[in-house]
Amino acid sequence: MQRVEHVMGFPVSLRIDDAGDYKEAADAVFAWLREVDERFSPFRPGSEVSRLDRGELAGSEVSQDLAEVLALCEEYRVATGGAFDVRLPGRGLDPCAVVKGWSVQRAAEGLAAAGARRFVLNAGGDVVASGGPWRVGVRHPEHADRLCTVLELTDGAVATSARYERGDHIVDGRTGRPATGLLSLTVVASSLTEADSVATAAFAMGAEGVGWAAARPGCEVFAVDAGRQVLRTAGFPVAGEPSAAA
Amino acid sequence: MKRAIPVVALSIAGLIPVWRYEPSIGGTTSATAEPAPAPSATSTTASGTSSGTVVKGTTVNTDKGPVQVQVTFSADKISAVTMLQQPNHPQTAAAVPVLVSETLKAQSADIDTVSGATITSDAYKESLQAAIDAKG
Repeated sequence: MQRVEHVMGFPVSLRIDDAGDYKEAADAVFAWLREVDERFSPFRPGSEVSRLDRGELAGSEVSQDLAEVLALCEEYRVATGGAFDVRLPGRGLDPCAVVKGWSVQRAAEGLAAAGARRFVLNAGGDVVASGGPWRVGVRHPEHADRLCTVLELTDGAVATSARYERGDHIVDGRTGRPATGLLSLTVVASSLTEADSVATAAFAMGAEGVGWAAARPGCEVFAVDAGRQVLRTAGFPVAGEPSAAA
Repeated sequence: MKRAIPVVALSIAGLIPVWRYEPSIGGTTSATAEPAPAPSATSTTASGTSSGTVVKGTTVNTDKGPVQVQVTFSADKISAVTMLQQPNHPQTAAAVPVLVSETLKAQSADIDTVSGATITSDAYKESLQAAIDAKG
């Protein structure tokens, strides 16, 4: 089965190849993502995130889910020396970068719990794949209709950060300026929570983010720098090539 | 070559926290397999080859053992980073980032899905993913 819906302002494509009826499981995926949008969007005045930001909600009153998200945000802020920061000066609390990967990963776990084995869930360019092999193309940073690499994934997640879709929206928290050191950075990891957060955090760091992301245990990286040079980890699972021995 | 040595130093500096930060899960049997050679501030060497310039970094002693990297430059760009010495320890083998440099290519291929920067719902209809979804 195949389904596309628009949630949180981006398209979410779900494909399940297992035989059987997964309509309910698919419904649950989109219902969960709409719930996440209601609860965590900084653009909705009534969301838990907005209420916390305005001080209407004490830190001790946040839900367990939001506490988990904020703990992840803090972990990545510390790990990047402040380059990744969801509380930038002069701006409201914006944990979107972590919420997206975290919520889509949980949606995929719900599918697996419902019995789905072979599926791929793509949330606006962030991918969770199960029961592959799946061939995942990485969009070329300068040509929307081309790819810069293709990777093969059995079970895992892929996330890409870049400026070509939403402009200079990723800010280096250390300088307060848009991150411009890279054209695109893709991370493969076992969970989308890690892949998406690491991709955004590394992109915020700029060129030095490539080595930083590569050093994260379990992360494989494919980056295009401002000089259009590709820098990737030896273990990045490029399709059609034997995987390098680690 | 003026730029090379700081890069090597940074590479090593970037690796050290990886060993320090991770809790040891491999026990002590392999972490200190052999005594570290004495570090030398003057052991950085460079040599030119047909495929680029190769620079060996100094050996740095970490609490998991000695670490030494080698960086290959093509013109001013890093084309490869390899470990000459690394501690004989399972978690470090997984944590050492070895980066490969390549030329950016634009290709088309048969794929199941596309990863890219978060696309807006407005931009979706023009996207590769929309074409894949439409194909079913």
